[in-house]
Amino acid sequence: MHSIETPGTAAIAAKPIETPGAAQAYTSLASPGAQNTALLDVRNLAASADDMQILHGVSLSIGKGETHVLMGPNGAGKSTLGRLIMGDPSYEQTAGSILFDGSDISELSPDKRSRAGLFLSFQAPVEIPGVPLLSFLRAAASGRFGQGLRGRKLRARIEELCDELDMDPAYLDRELGVGFSGGEKKKLEMLQLLLLAPKLAILDETDSGLDVDALGVVSRGIDAYRESCDGSLLIITHNTRILEHLKVDRVHVMVDGRIAAEGDASLIPWIDRNGFESFENASLSDPCCQAGDDINACPARTPSASASSLPAETR
Amino acid sequence: MQNSFAAGATAQEAPKAITVNAMPAATWGWLKMNDAEAAVPAHLASAPNAARLEVEVNGKTVNPTRDADAFERALDSAAGRYALAQRLGAGDAAQQPSRQSATPEKELDATALSSYQSGALDLERTYTPARAFKTGMGHEGFGYLSEVSRGPHLIAAPAHASVCATLHVCGAPGAAAVGAVDVVASEGSNVSITIALDSPDEGEGIVGSAVRVLAGKGARVSIACIQTLADGYTALDDTGMFLAEGAQASVRHDVLGAGASFTGLSADLRGDESRATVNVNYLGARSQTRDFNYEITHRGRNTESNISANGVLAGESKKCLRGTIDLTHGCKGSQGTEHETVLLADERVRNKSVPVILCDEDEVAGNHGATIGHIRADQLLYLTCRGISEDAAEELFIRAKLEDAAIAAPSRAARAGIVRLGKRMFDDFEESLGEEIA
Repeated sequence: MHSIETPGTAAIAAKPIETPGAAQAYTSLASPGAQNTALLDVRNLAASADDMQILHGVSLSIGKGETHVLMGPNGAGKSTLGRLIMGDPSYEQTAGSILFDGSDISELSPDKRSRAGLFLSFQAPVEIPGVPLLSFLRAAASGRFGQGLRGRKLRARIEELCDELDMDPAYLDRELGVGFSGGEKKKLEMLQLLLLAPKLAILDETDSGLDVDALGVVSRGIDAYRESCDGSLLIITHNTRILEHLKVDRVHVMVDGRIAAEGDASLIPWIDRNGFESFENASLSDPCCQAGDDINACPARTPSASASSLPAETR
Repeated sequence: MQNSFAAGATAQEAPKAITVNAMPAATWGWLKMNDAEAAVPAHLASAPNAARLEVEVNGKTVNPTRDADAFERALDSAAGRYALAQRLGAGDAAQQPSRQSATPEKELDATALSSYQSGALDLERTYTPARAFKTGMGHEGFGYLSEVSRGPHLIAAPAHASVCATLHVCGAPGAAAVGAVDVVASEGSNVSITIALDSPDEGEGIVGSAVRVLAGKGARVSIACIQTLADGYTALDDTGMFLAEGAQASVRHDVLGAGASFTGLSADLRGDESRATVNVNYLGARSQTRDFNYEITHRGRNTESNISANGVLAGESKKCLRGTIDLTHGCKGSQGTEHETVLLADERVRNKSVPVILCDEDEVAGNHGATIGHIRADQLLYLTCRGISEDAAEELFIRAKLEDAAIAAPSRAARAGIVRLGKRMFDDFEESLGEEIA
């Protein structure tokens, strides 16, 4: 049975998933037991910026070691969700809660969320003149690993990661991000991911603007992260290429600040074929029907089969 | 009797103020940026053996000598080569008498001149290198440093020789420690000097250096001065340079420590196609004050200068940097550029950036720019998302400045001073640097 918890309501029954393997994934996520062990549990999250409501009652749950993908068209609110989870003060959380590792982190500053084990890879990493990359990495790593990884050992570890990511160690003495190409900036994000080994990494369009080689390096970085610490991932993207070699546990489709559909990994090739138009056209109804596709071929369902069964906030 | 900065000092020991770092062309007095006052205790004893100079000529160690007049003799001998008539083209020569004789008293339509302009015309008339020569801190500052140092050491580089020197000035509590060096770099020579102003012991006192440079035709002179004094000390670092044809000077100032720091540099680009490059790195924290005065005077044709300053101000620190590029009459084809980047890491800091371009010639270019600002919201977000709090971010900028200087330090002594200063601020500074320092 496909069961999704929607904002402010008990779990609502939806149509069965007919894609092989998908039902199991749904069951494991939707079961009460899974809810309790979720690493990240976003409930009924609403957010605004500059008095404009951007997110409307978003809920999603990520278990330990799981890889989730958040997809959607431009402007859907994907990055906003990532930033809100990380605590970006540009956005105001107007409703809902963010539970991370069993604690509500809604009131924590971004640095405390980072220290708690959250990581956000930026879509457009900033440049900070005057701060050598190595100094920045030292500050970011400071206090995370006890006495074990400091000084020369830390430098050695960073150089090891540079090697793993095909990154010239000479970059360590350069100013943070200054003069880095787009690909180098993304590699640097991967380096930080591997160095800090967070419990949950949110990768916000890390794949955007990368050539094939850089994309391969980023994919290797993601694999290495998963292998090294069994961390969880929330990958925000509207490009399916980076997902080709990943074992994805769950796919969420966001449209207009709402989770419009959810499914297992088989939803990715479906989106690759059909795009987001169906979700955009009918975010509150069955996208497969709207798209004219074979309903049984679509591995996703909206949180509810009909608008009337949804709470007012999500209509 | 040993002098001290302590509150209980006698009236005789009370600090006196010397005026230093005056801008060549003054602006409004109420802006309080025309010059600075450095408090120096009267009768402060000179620290014995505070300055250590080591010199190598073509790889061989030589004993530095003291010859107080050698620099003046070298300047005087250069005077003949820079007669005014040789400097001017036909048109300029014809114009010259009227430039110098026209005054508002004699001709009603003559432009009233500022004291700076009058002084510049006066220099044009005499035009001797010795008269024009000055240091960045000015006569009062240089005079004080010369007096305390008991006379300069001489570094005389023979033609086409390679000279490497280190001057280590070590602060002593309750005393004034000053190293003075005169450099006479003959034609085609290559001179590299590293100056470390350091204070291994906490305390209060004066630490400084006074350097005069005459770079002969085609000579290359590079100076790196790293100041890493404890907060109780006042730093006075003064430099004056004269560059002949094709000579090149490269100066790096790392101002990292001292409660109050005064740095001055004046360069006279007298020879055609001479060039001066100045890189300044500074750090202000707590209630430290930093005061700089850079003057590059272009007199030769096709001369070039570049002043680049990069600093971080944190805590309640204050800083004033005056940078004057003076494109004087006759320096056709010359260009000067100055740029400063200042990161204000705290709301309480006070920054004054004073770029000045003076121009009395056509076919020249003077450029200036400044980037001054607090850390942007997106930069701060990035740092906080990596677990670096706002307070830690300010610390990061300070630490980064020190680490950068340590990695680039030109000598073991300078590096040790930076590490010592870093350890005064951060317990794990040396350890965090790890192998960069090893």
